[in-house]
Amino acid sequence: MELLQLVINGVALGAAYALVALGFVLVLNATGAVNFAQGDLVVAGGFMGVALVGLIPLPAILLLPLVMLTMAAIGLAVSALAYWPLRDRPPVSVFISTIALGIIIQNGLNGAFGAEPRTAPAMFGAGRFEFAGLAVGHQSLAIMVVAALLIGGIHLLLGRSQLGRMLRATAQDREVAAALGIPVGGMVALTFALAAALAGAAGLLLANQFFVSPADGGNFIVKAYIAVVIGGWGRVGGALAGAMLVALFETVVAAWFDYAVASGLLYAALLAILFVRPQGLFGETVGRRA
Amino acid sequence: MRTMARLRAWLTRDVNTLLLAGALGLAAWPFIQGDPYSLRLLTLSGIYALATIGYQFVFGHAGALSLAQGTFFGLGAYVAGILSVKAGLGFELAFPAAIMAAGLLAIAVSMPVLRLGSHYFALATLGIGQVVLLVAVNWESVTGGANGIAGVSKISLFGLTVERGWPLMLLVWGLVALGALAARHFSSGLAGAKFSLMREQPMAAEAAGIDIRRLRFSAFLLSALYGGAAGALQVHTVRVVSPEVLEFPVMVMLLAIVVIGGRTNIAGAILGAVLLVHLPEWFRPLEKYYLMAYGAALLAMIVAAPWGIVGAIAMARRKWLPEQNPPLPVAVSRPPGSARERLDIEGLVRHFGGVRAVDGIDLSIAPGEAVGIIGANGSGKSTLVNLIAGAEKPDAGYIRWAGARIDALPAVRVAQSGISRTFQSLKLVDGMSVLDNVAVGDWRSEIAERTRGEAVHLLDRLGLTEFAWRLCGNLPPGLRRRVEIARALMARPAMLLLDEPAAGLTEEERKDLARMLSELNRDGATLAVVEHDLEFLSRFASRLVCLDGGRVIADGTPESVRHEPAVIAAWLGRPPGQARDV
Repeated sequence: MELLQLVINGVALGAAYALVALGFVLVLNATGAVNFAQGDLVVAGGFMGVALVGLIPLPAILLLPLVMLTMAAIGLAVSALAYWPLRDRPPVSVFISTIALGIIIQNGLNGAFGAEPRTAPAMFGAGRFEFAGLAVGHQSLAIMVVAALLIGGIHLLLGRSQLGRMLRATAQDREVAAALGIPVGGMVALTFALAAALAGAAGLLLANQFFVSPADGGNFIVKAYIAVVIGGWGRVGGALAGAMLVALFETVVAAWFDYAVASGLLYAALLAILFVRPQGLFGETVGRRA
Repeated sequence: MRTMARLRAWLTRDVNTLLLAGALGLAAWPFIQGDPYSLRLLTLSGIYALATIGYQFVFGHAGALSLAQGTFFGLGAYVAGILSVKAGLGFELAFPAAIMAAGLLAIAVSMPVLRLGSHYFALATLGIGQVVLLVAVNWESVTGGANGIAGVSKISLFGLTVERGWPLMLLVWGLVALGALAARHFSSGLAGAKFSLMREQPMAAEAAGIDIRRLRFSAFLLSALYGGAAGALQVHTVRVVSPEVLEFPVMVMLLAIVVIGGRTNIAGAILGAVLLVHLPEWFRPLEKYYLMAYGAALLAMIVAAPWGIVGAIAMARRKWLPEQNPPLPVAVSRPPGSARERLDIEGLVRHFGGVRAVDGIDLSIAPGEAVGIIGANGSGKSTLVNLIAGAEKPDAGYIRWAGARIDALPAVRVAQSGISRTFQSLKLVDGMSVLDNVAVGDWRSEIAERTRGEAVHLLDRLGLTEFAWRLCGNLPPGLRRRVEIARALMARPAMLLLDEPAAGLTEEERKDLARMLSELNRDGATLAVVEHDLEFLSRFASRLVCLDGGRVIADGTPESVRHEPAVIAAWLGRPPGQARDV
């Protein structure tokens, strides 16, 4: 029973991680490069919730669209500043430029809000459902539902719409997509916007239960990175599964050890996985590009 | 005269003059501002320069995005700090111990980590850092836990105390100079050329007999040793050791220095370190936003000069100052080797999924022969070359070379056993001179001067002398083919395996190349040349082998093979059974 409770908590955390990892892998596929600012964008989303609720005291579920829209605009800025000027350089340049952008975001937030952890508003309010000895907080449930809806929405967008087809064509082969008349630059910028919006949503969802402080970005990006590696570099479904595995590992192991040990063991597990399966658990789709 | 010309070439060819001037200017800095804080910043600059010079081995030369350099740095700091505070050891013992600890960690993790592809390698090295950080935080009795260990004393060398300020700064920069000289030894000239070939054309590096795994390991190990040394110096400068030194910002700092300074240029590492250590100080007036401005400056620099300051200066110099090439090394002729090895292939099979690319080939090539291997596209020619060269492994059958089986050997061992190959799609380092692209082919080379002399000799033979200093990327395809052949010859091969050497050449170039191959063969080299062009082959080949559907369908003198009905049919693209319908 205790384990089941942990699994439920883990799935809620995993749902939020999945949003981060999804944004990471979409940008990876569209550009071949790692967006290392993705973690700091999560933090930015959390702080946006903190700031907004001060201005408009509403439950977070109503603030969510506003946060995601603003974050999408920031995503466009990320693509314009850190990706577009370096699009013809080796992907490692983007890796480093997004690290620099992450430094800007982190220290900007630090300047504006201070280094202390803050709390974002809850989705609907505090409280929990209880049945059969299990407790599911309203917030946990909200995270799962919102994440599921967003992931489903992205799935529909990519799978069913013409825009989604253009995005996927860009991710698969930029040159061919350009030759077909797809505005590749616009598609890449849009991917960054989507990734930032997803990161912002994850930040808003997480910053209620787990607090948020400006220096947390590194933590999130590493979780997403690990999720994408064990899920298979470039696989969208694999990234979601990887995020879930990372969160479950963290929650369940942290119940026995403290959090620091749990994250250390996560890296040890990652190294073990890479030792046995150098191509990730599920194999990869993107060639060696980063 | 020669020395003068060389000196002048050195000064104008690279960016060394400007960097030298920059370094001298910076060295004058504490004379202008001799306060302890400036000295401390300059000391820290030297420490980061040392760590970055090491990082250039793995990141710049080997081209691997390692995120463990900060960990080696931090480990060095912890080991030196603990040995100094808890065991009271002098720096003469603690310093080597710190370097060794970093080296041992590198050796311990290299086996699983170094075989990983780029982004997996990056994450795995990041993971190692996190595990070390975890140990540092939790092993309180030794490391002092989250608070670390304070009160690290001044450096004591054989009982002599090195005061902070000037003495420490000079000690650090003295070690930077030593480290820079050692790095120059390990990475300039031919060693640097080998790194470039490994980084940009790994298949070609193996085919040239360069042991990639060993080279990558030595780059990783060297980077760790430098990192450990820098960390040991850092702990005595900042006087505390805490988990902070193992955290990601240190790694980001090193990465930023190497990207902004220059990926392989040692002077660039020094310049970058001095710049980035001082950069946040210049933004201090912005108070709590100073690190934000630092990030913005970093981003602006990466965008404005993606190849680093060194790259930007080099580009500007190329624009304003004409290129001044150093004189060519004196050609050293080499005795033509007489091949005695014999190649025997039996029942060789290689499938790709359901396709049998090579489907039971038997073929022997005697020493000194010049064999042309012909066949239509998809007949298995290139697969055969890859199998002989060890780039692919057969599903069945044997390849014997000089009596010993080589079909299970890795490509690098096959190359070292005396079989050199070229590639259908050229694999040269575009940003490197013709001379170095050729000289790098000698995997035995110990003495750079002699090797380059031999390379000049080969350039003479292949008519490439006038292009010696040109970058390979700027040459027309015909000349690039010859460069690749010259590189293959540098290994003094007993057998030369050429994969479509005439592809993309003009008629005139084909004639030239055929004449050169004919000469090489007369001097004793065994040739096996895969080609479509019968005309080209018949100029030097004494024997033709025709492949179709992964099998040998004809083998004999050029005249007999050309008139074989099966060959004619295969050449027209029809299965042999339908040949009569033509």
